[in-house]
Amino acid sequence: MTDRPLIGLDPTSGPLVRTDERALPSRPKSLDGHVLGLVANGLGESKLFLDAVYDELTREEDTIAAVRVLKSSVSVPPEPADWARLTSETSLAIAGMGG
Amino acid sequence: MAATALAAEAHAFRDEQDLQETYHANGWTDGLPIVAPTPERVEAFLDAAGLAPDALLGEVPTREVRVTAEHAAINAVMAGCRPDYFPVVVAAVRAHLHEKANCHSTTGTLSGAVQTVVVNGPIRTEIGIECGAGCMGPGFRANASIGRALRLVIRNVCRAIPGVLDRASFSSPHRFSFCFGENEEGSSWTPMHVERGFRADESAVTVHSVMTVDSAVDFVSRTPEGLCDSMLATLRRNGIAGDEFLGEDTTAMLVVGPEHQRFFDRAGWSKDDIRDYLFPKFGEDPGPGGRTVGIGKKEGILIVAAGGDGMAQTWVLLPHLAIAITEPVVANA
Repeated sequence: MTDRPLIGLDPTSGPLVRTDERALPSRPKSLDGHVLGLVANGLGESKLFLDAVYDELTREEDTIAAVRVLKSSVSVPPEPADWARLTSETSLAIAGMGG
Repeated sequence: MAATALAAEAHAFRDEQDLQETYHANGWTDGLPIVAPTPERVEAFLDAAGLAPDALLGEVPTREVRVTAEHAAINAVMAGCRPDYFPVVVAAVRAHLHEKANCHSTTGTLSGAVQTVVVNGPIRTEIGIECGAGCMGPGFRANASIGRALRLVIRNVCRAIPGVLDRASFSSPHRFSFCFGENEEGSSWTPMHVERGFRADESAVTVHSVMTVDSAVDFVSRTPEGLCDSMLATLRRNGIAGDEFLGEDTTAMLVVGPEHQRFFDRAGWSKDDIRDYLFPKFGEDPGPGGRTVGIGKKEGILIVAAGGDGMAQTWVLLPHLAIAITEPVVANA
């Protein structure tokens, strides 16, 4: 027997260390005046569902505008051009999936 | 190998039990006991593959993850691999991290897609990869620990934690480990890795992310056409959706057991003959209740000879949003 401790290595890639300034924004109390990004992943009825969300939100709130993005592939994140639209033209986004 | 220092944080434990309990408590296991990843063991694995600890095996950009040889070695030790299995684990990790293997989607999906590891070439017999009876199940150290190693890498390094980035509604028992070899010696067919551009005396690993594991059980058909129709019915029952990202390259895998192989052999059918029969039918109306089989090229039908006698069965492994990727096994010379 030995008193030497057993050494085990951390098997993970470690905590996610951000090198940029991204942070989760606080939720707004109202959508009034916001431009809403609606991102459908293309699975199932996701586009129909988000269209219905848009219709519902804008039915009585004509101060809300929306940018709709339908991903070109269900497999991968939005294309860079779609990311650019979302980050430059919207102030909030809802990502929807379907199955 | 180059004496680059190991980068992983080292923790001291009173004893084996202390290590086991801490790793479980930290969420670093798949729920089963692990082998302690000591620096000495990890270094032995890296030596077996001739890799420096910081050798990059691949990345998951959406998760800001870079997977190194050291990461893979730590998790392969934990999975119960031997050092001489490690070059196979490295090939599997590289294959899984290929862009079109789509790690982010296939390990985050609600569907609980599983990563199937198929081994070809001489390494199978060198390390004891089972290719025959029971090859998809428990009882074979190389199969069990290599498949488990890939899954531990996916969990620990690629951040696919159930309920967090792994959003699987049910997940799958195949996610503990799913690795087997092609029974090249028991088949007249060209091995899969040779069809995919490798020499027969090279070893290679194919990783296929699978959404549905189904089978075509057919004890009745005595002709290649009849057997192919059974496989087609299974493919159509499940369907394969096309996808812009994968384009024409979508793959599905047919793992043909010996009871079905013998009828193809008697008729002189090669793997390519099976493709030539099946592929044109993918463009036909699938009929009532049938679904489209969205495979764009006949080469997308991957065929593997495996399994044992008795059950007249072909396993049909339908893809998640990824294509099967084959990587060479490179051991330290």
